[in-house]
Amino acid sequence: MEFLFQILVILLAARLLSEVSERVGMPGILGEILAGLLLGLLIVEETETIASVAELGAIFLLFTAGYKEVHIEDLKASSKKAIVATFFQIAAAFIAGFALGRFFGFDFVESLFLAVAFSPTSIGVVVKTLLDMGYLSSKPGSMMLTSAIFDDIIGIFLLSIVVTVGKYNAFPTATQFMLLLGKLVFFVGIMVILGYRVFPYIFNYVQKMHSKESIFAAVVLIALFSAYFAEIMELDAVIGAFIGGVMLSNVAVAKINDIQSKVSGLAYGILVPIFFAHIGMAVELEALNTLGSFTILVVVLALLGKLIGGFVGARAIGFDSYESFIFGSGVMPRAGVELVVISIGREMGIIGEEIFSAVVLMVVVSIIISPIILKFAIQKDKQKNTSVPAS
Amino acid sequence: MTAEGEFSSRQAFSEEEGLDLEEKCNEVLVRDIMITDPITIKGEDPIEKIFDLFNKEHFHTYPVVDENGDLLGIIDQNIILQLLFTRHVSRLDHTHLMAVRSLSQSARGIMKPHPITITSDTTLCEIAETMVKHKVEHFCVVDEKKLVGIVCKSDVIQAIYSLRS
Repeated sequence: MEFLFQILVILLAARLLSEVSERVGMPGILGEILAGLLLGLLIVEETETIASVAELGAIFLLFTAGYKEVHIEDLKASSKKAIVATFFQIAAAFIAGFALGRFFGFDFVESLFLAVAFSPTSIGVVVKTLLDMGYLSSKPGSMMLTSAIFDDIIGIFLLSIVVTVGKYNAFPTATQFMLLLGKLVFFVGIMVILGYRVFPYIFNYVQKMHSKESIFAAVVLIALFSAYFAEIMELDAVIGAFIGGVMLSNVAVAKINDIQSKVSGLAYGILVPIFFAHIGMAVELEALNTLGSFTILVVVLALLGKLIGGFVGARAIGFDSYESFIFGSGVMPRAGVELVVISIGREMGIIGEEIFSAVVLMVVVSIIISPIILKFAIQKDKQKNTSVPAS
Repeated sequence: MTAEGEFSSRQAFSEEEGLDLEEKCNEVLVRDIMITDPITIKGEDPIEKIFDLFNKEHFHTYPVVDENGDLLGIIDQNIILQLLFTRHVSRLDHTHLMAVRSLSQSARGIMKPHPITITSDTTLCEIAETMVKHKVEHFCVVDEKKLVGIVCKSDVIQAIYSLRS
């Protein structure tokens, strides 16, 4: 009964505040985190069961990212230029995170988690701004999108490294590193064989089954199987879920509109909001207070790392300063993968309340501030473009 | 009593009719009912040409083919409406995939690349069952990668109705 009440309250609060957030022009995730924060302060205690449901949320967040959003053809078509710009913005944020952790005396592994949490970008936050300002098809706008295609993949790769390092609780030796790489290659190899040879065959059979919702059930089972298989291989469940999703993205029967809509409903209607609310519930406001300067620096450096890294990367591929400023501010926002990284770190007992809470705050600030800075950067570019013919 | 008797005789009739229909629809193949010369979009067709097609014709979905007639994907009304109305779609759909789609200049860039397909020797019963169970509106009919036709829910309804009568 207690469980039912908790799920009811968490889901209700997350959905309501998500709606409020959307109405004021912010992404729903902001309201969901805030709902968790308020509930954590007021009534709801974090329990094992809620944590398990939230873990399912993280698994389905990354599964749907692979299943609905990654197209292997897109990756092949993306330009080399995008790789350069992406490398710079990720590397700068990563270095900023790692250096900050070490500077404040956190150990190697904790600092590495912080660095990885600094690295990915959630482009969805600024797409609306680009659309509203008519800059989606601009040079920096399309470069941001191409960069975002690589972002998830790089984020998952970094996550798999940091999880392994976390398991050894030190930087892996050459043998351990080779073992990790071997496991990752083996896992991906098996998943590719399943994706191209086995899954299409399974779905061909499943669509003829008499039981209700057979295709939807098969998609969910593959998500859970991929997550569990990754855990057996000592990778993390979310990494498996993401790769499982990518492998299903080419199976026509698994991508029937009706099935996509059901998977999306399960993920974004129920599990993912609980995951984000759970993140909010786990934030310790006292931890933010005690480490005031650290928290502020996490927010500032995470944003500056992306802004400067993106700026330098864009300049390196021949963008002018205004375009580079747009690119840098467009890759600033963080949301899903970053929160998955810190929730895994917390679950493994590697990162403490200070880093966890500071990164959640950073995500919240980045969601609010990135569209504002991006709008400013675009206005500057527009002013330059209008003043050039006049002069 | 009379009403019950009437009901059971009507039920027996429809059961019999159902069995008969199932037998008949297992004998009808997709190639007998499909549209064999559907309007297609070429992979390199520009966006404006595709908008124009959706404006003039009123089919829900069009297959996209390459120069050899091999099926590449489909473009449906949902994609077109999303593109024309990008700014107003839910923020959840503000993903890079949607954005990349909205920047594409040709059919290849906006199509759904892995449509559900069937071969021309599939039976009417099989496709009708899949349509009912999984809410599929249409199938591209493909033999050895080549698009040979398209079959929509209305074609299936017409075929079953004609068998019934």
